[in-house]
Amino acid sequence: MDGMAASALAIALVGLGLWTLVRRRNVIWKLLGLNVAAGGAILFLVAVAHRPHAHPAIAELGPGPSADPLPHALVLTAIVIHFATLALSLVYVIFLTERRHSQDVHKLEEER
Amino acid sequence: MKWAAGIAILGLVVLMAMGTWSLFPRPDVPSWEEETTAWGAENAVAAIVLGARLWDTLFEVLVYAMAMVGVRLALRPLRQAEPQAPLPETPLLRRAADVLLGPIVVFSIYLAASGHLGPGGGFPAGALLGSGLLLLALAKGAERLGGELHEPALELWEYGAIALLLAVGGGVVLLGWRGEHVLLGADFLIAVVVAIGAWVVLHNFASSRGEI
Repeated sequence: MDGMAASALAIALVGLGLWTLVRRRNVIWKLLGLNVAAGGAILFLVAVAHRPHAHPAIAELGPGPSADPLPHALVLTAIVIHFATLALSLVYVIFLTERRHSQDVHKLEEER
Repeated sequence: MKWAAGIAILGLVVLMAMGTWSLFPRPDVPSWEEETTAWGAENAVAAIVLGARLWDTLFEVLVYAMAMVGVRLALRPLRQAEPQAPLPETPLLRRAADVLLGPIVVFSIYLAASGHLGPGGGFPAGALLGSGLLLLALAKGAERLGGELHEPALELWEYGAIALLLAVGGGVVLLGWRGEHVLLGADFLIAVVVAIGAWVVLHNFASSRGEI
């Protein structure tokens, strides 16, 4: 069961995040849902890298089974790009709030 | 409409679970020690990110920097609209910043310098340095610190670090260099880019207080 429980939790997190992304009407809530889904994706990569009784992928920690280093490198990329795109989309939300005085997608679509 | 979205997301989750099921049990990791040492690293993640996938990492940093430039440019018209009164500074935060800033800077330099030997690297070091700058901004007031740090000069620093990183990285990839000094240089340049980018985002978010 190594890593399987964690990846099940990760898939549940992605589902929860997608549900929030689809069903909530507030733009900031949608971004929070996207954030939770990205957290699920990162947890999934970490769960895939897991091996039973393994040490981290550092050479001087000696022989024996080690964790898979490639998903760890992908996690690094995912965190950085996620931070950057989340910051940029929050800036767009600030812009939208200043211009249209609303964060509700239904109102934003109706007024034009 | 609600149940349609629910069924769609449930189906997606079931598909993901079925795809994941075939991944387990995970196969053994092939031996990576020799290859990692050949790149001049002890940490296999550093050997992948800064060695085998250096070209990917360069463009990842480029994407990061483009997002930061987007944040700065999109918030600029909003910030010039009305000058706001600076936030009052609190003595507790000021003292804490005095005590904590030195260890934060030293630890981030340590992380950048030892990223190829153990846990660490350029990205965490840059994030740490950026959040240290945010602590300083909260203690001294974002407007005052922005004036003291000379933001146009900081902008030049960021563009310079990106250009240097792309040029050096491209040269390294084309010439096929590998070794400890390449990893160290890439780690420090990435730390500078990420720290300035994190500072730009956090400072802009801290200093733009609008009203709905």
